[in-house]
Amino acid sequence: MNANAKVLKHSGQTRTMHWLHLIVCILLALTGIGFYWDINWINNLFGGPANASIVHRWSAVIFVLGPLLYILFNFERFSRFVDTISNFTKDDFGWIKTMGGYIPFIKVDEVPPQDKYNAGQKVLGGLIIIGCLLMIITGFPMWVWRGVVAPGFLAFCYNIHFWTSIILILLVLGHFFLAAIHPKSRVEFSAMMIDGYVDADITAEHNEKWYATLKEVE
Amino acid sequence: MSTFTSRDIIHVDPSICKGCDHCTSVCPTRAIHGTIGEKHRIDHRKCVNCGQCLINCPFGAISDLSALDTLVQALNDPNKYVVIQVAPAVRVALGEEFGMQPGTNVKGKMFAALRQLGFDQVYDTEFAADLTIMEEGTELIHRIYNYAGVAGFEESGPLPQFTSCCPAWIKYAEDRYPHILPHISSAKSPQQMFGAIAKTYAAQKLDVDPAKMYSVSVMPCTAKKYECDRPEFIASGYKDVDVVITTRELANLIKQQGIDFRNLNDEEADRLIGSSTGAATIFGVTGGVMEAALRTAYELLSGKTLGKIEFKKVRGLKPIREATVEIPVKDLGVTVPVNVCIVHGLKHVNGIIEDVLAGRSKYHFIEVMNCPGGCINGGGQPIRHEMYA
Repeated sequence: MNANAKVLKHSGQTRTMHWLHLIVCILLALTGIGFYWDINWINNLFGGPANASIVHRWSAVIFVLGPLLYILFNFERFSRFVDTISNFTKDDFGWIKTMGGYIPFIKVDEVPPQDKYNAGQKVLGGLIIIGCLLMIITGFPMWVWRGVVAPGFLAFCYNIHFWTSIILILLVLGHFFLAAIHPKSRVEFSAMMIDGYVDADITAEHNEKWYATLKEVE
Repeated sequence: MSTFTSRDIIHVDPSICKGCDHCTSVCPTRAIHGTIGEKHRIDHRKCVNCGQCLINCPFGAISDLSALDTLVQALNDPNKYVVIQVAPAVRVALGEEFGMQPGTNVKGKMFAALRQLGFDQVYDTEFAADLTIMEEGTELIHRIYNYAGVAGFEESGPLPQFTSCCPAWIKYAEDRYPHILPHISSAKSPQQMFGAIAKTYAAQKLDVDPAKMYSVSVMPCTAKKYECDRPEFIASGYKDVDVVITTRELANLIKQQGIDFRNLNDEEADRLIGSSTGAATIFGVTGGVMEAALRTAYELLSGKTLGKIEFKKVRGLKPIREATVEIPVKDLGVTVPVNVCIVHGLKHVNGIIEDVLAGRSKYHFIEVMNCPGGCINGGGQPIRHEMYA
C-alpha cells in the first residue's frame, strides 16, 4: 500500500445505515422539539402538532428497525465496532487529554496513536448506543402503553426521553462540527457520506494503530 | 339532552400539557380531545367533572375551578356564619398531604384544623350519609312494594333502583341515558342533604339567619363542585351548599395558614348534625352505599338485623360485582331475593343501563360510582406519584 493509496473505512451498508440514521434523527429532533415546546413553525412543516407526532413516532420505528437490520446483516462488523469502542487504552486517555489536537487552546506536542476510531469517536459511539437504547426503552411506553402505565412512570419516561434527546442532539451537533466543518478532521467526511474511502496517509496519521494492522494484513 | 353547567370545572392548561394522551385513557366519557403530541382540550358538554384526568395527568396540566379565595373571604367576614361538612373519604387521604401514610385516619386532627381555620361549626357528612341510607333504603322498599303490587305504592318508581350519590354518574345519565332517570333514586346526595339541613333545621336550632349562613363542604370529588351549583338545590331559598373544596384544597388552606397539622390534638365534630351511626363510613368505597342501604332495607322489611352480605365477588377493584340477598318481608310473609349490582367506572355501566331499558335486567338495586374504587379515589384527592399502575 503506497502513501497515495486509499483505504476503505466504511462499507456500503454502514454508510447507508448512517445516512438513514442521519435523516431519521433530523426528523425526530425537529418534530420532537416542535411539539414538546409547541413551536408552531416547526409543527406546521409537518402539518400541525398531531401530524408532527405521527412523523415522530414512525420515524422512531425506522430509527429502531434500521440499525436492527444492519446489526442482523452485519453482526460480525458490528461486534468489531463494539469491541473497538469498548477497548479504551492508555493511548485513548492520552487522546482525551489532548483532545486529539483539535482544540486550538490545548497545546499538543504529540497525539497518541489511535485505533480505527479515535477516543472521541469511541466515546461518541458508546454514548450514541446508550442514548438510542434509552430513547427506545422510554419511547415505547410513551407511545404504546401511554394509557395503561402509571402517570408517575409516564412522567419519568418523558423526563428521561427529554434529557437523553438534549444530550444526543448536542453530541450530534459536536459530531457534525468535527466531521464536516473542522478543517483538521473533516478530511474523513467523504468516507462516511460518499464513497467510504480515506486517503492512506491521513489514515496513517489519524488512525496509526489501525493502519499498522492493515499493513500487517497486506 | 345535555346538562350544561355555567361553570366549567375541569381545565387543561395548554402551556403545560405535553400531549402525552394519558388523560384520554382515564376519561370515562371520551370528553377529552387530542392525540399524542397535541395540546388536549375538554369538551365540557361531555365532561362529567370527575377529575380523573386531573389526578392522573403526569405533568399536572389539568386543574379544577377553585373557590378557595371566596371561602377565605367568607371566613374573614364577621357577618357570615360559616359551617363546614367533611365527607368520609377525606379523613383517610388528607394525611398524605402532610407526609403521612396513605389511609391514615386523621379525622380528629382534621376537625381541630377546621376550628383553627375559623369555621363556626364543624360537621361530619356521615350524618347526612345516614339520612341518605334511610332515604334510599326506604325508597327501595317502596319500589319493591310497587313491583309486588302492594296497594298504596303505585306512585313509587320502577325497579331496578340506581343510587344517586355520585354527581358524575347523574350527569352522565342525564346526558347519555335520559330514559333511565326514573330508575335513579330521588334521594339527594349526602352533601346536598347536609346543605339543606344546615340552612333549615340547623339554622333554626342555632338561631342563625340562613341568609347569613355560609355552607361549605370538603369532598374527595371535583364533580361535587358542579353538583352544588345545580339550580334545584335551594331548599332554604338559598344555595344549600355555597362552596365545595377538595381534599387537596383543604390541605393547601391548612398549609397557607401555617397550622402544624401533624401535631394537632384530636377533636370531635360538633354534635347537632355532626354525630353519626358509623354505617356511612364505608360510603367512600365502591359497594359501601349498597351495603349500607341494603342493611337498612333488610332491617325495615324483616324487622331483623342483617348479617354480613356475601358478595359473589367481594370488595375489590372488579368493575362489576353482583350479589343476591334473600330478604324476608314481614308484611307480605314471603322471602324476596334482591339482586344487587355494584359498578364503578362509568365505562362499565352502559351495558347495564341498556339491559334495564330493554327490560332484561335481573337486578333490583344498582350502585354506580364513577371513580375507580369509589370516592376514595376521587378527583379531589391528593395526587399520588407512584411509578406503578
